[in-house]
Amino acid sequence: MTIENEVKELIIKALELEDIEPSDIEDEAPLFIEGLGLDSIDALELGMALKKKYNLKMGSDKEENKKYFYSVKTLADYIRSNVGE
Amino acid sequence: MLVTGSSRGIGRASALYLAKNGYDLVLHCNKNTKMANDLKDEIVSLGRKARVLQFDISNREECKNVLSEDIEKNGLYYGVVLNAGIAKDNVFPVMEDREWDSVLNTNLGGFYNVLKPLVMEMISQRMKGRIITMSSVSGLMGNRGQVNYSASKAGIIGATKALAQELAKRGITVNCIAPGCIETDMTSELPVDEVKKMIPMKRFGKPQEVASLVNYLMSEDAAYITGQVISVNGGLYQ
Repeated sequence: MTIENEVKELIIKALELEDIEPSDIEDEAPLFIEGLGLDSIDALELGMALKKKYNLKMGSDKEENKKYFYSVKTLADYIRSNVGE
Repeated sequence: MLVTGSSRGIGRASALYLAKNGYDLVLHCNKNTKMANDLKDEIVSLGRKARVLQFDISNREECKNVLSEDIEKNGLYYGVVLNAGIAKDNVFPVMEDREWDSVLNTNLGGFYNVLKPLVMEMISQRMKGRIITMSSVSGLMGNRGQVNYSASKAGIIGATKALAQELAKRGITVNCIAPGCIETDMTSELPVDEVKKMIPMKRFGKPQEVASLVNYLMSEDAAYITGQVISVNGGLYQ
């Protein structure tokens, strides 16, 4: 499975998004506010789930984190560059 | 559900009212462990479960330790009534530092200290719970001799409304009750006859008259009410 698909499944599982399938989420669509309409508390939960699954630690720079959390693709890129395939 | 400051007054009445309506209770007290334990016995005799937690809501570390341990051991609360509060009245020009600090640290600090260990848990456990805060008519209109108390109670209103925004999507409601003059120890030193003249209903409210609103806001029927400040004051302030 691609990291992109893993991330989609993680988002759905971590945030308990009923009625949403991985195929409903576009790789490059914004996750927050627009697109999936997640908020910053969802981001916290997602951050915890990412940490658990990939041992991925988010830095303290909020602006940087915002970039990584922009879309499924940016998150997958971040995981690849920090954890490897 | 957790009721802070439940050894007497509105907190005690709320805990009893909730118990009579089938809820199990976690009773918080600061110093009056004896009174809290008596209430516990009364609630148990009604066929509900109850336990007492003793801590100082102005002590952040203590709140975190006691609450985290309790929810880990006994499970998370569905409802939280942030009722505990203190008043240290004095006119502002001669108010003492400790009068300002203790009232702010307890009443407004207590909002942070008690809710902080609980809210993220409510979110991650998908608990569609209820948070009820206790403001006061003093927080809405300002009351002389209560610059500290009014500030803390107005602060609770802002905090309630903001938290309600953050938690609405998660089905957690956050509402605020603003009682007027209620027959409790806190109002026992007021000049009753003079104060009554100012209240359109010409009487003090009973703790049960606040407790019944607590009970309603806790119910499933109140699921769509959030971020509100509801006064129980006999028309004292509109």
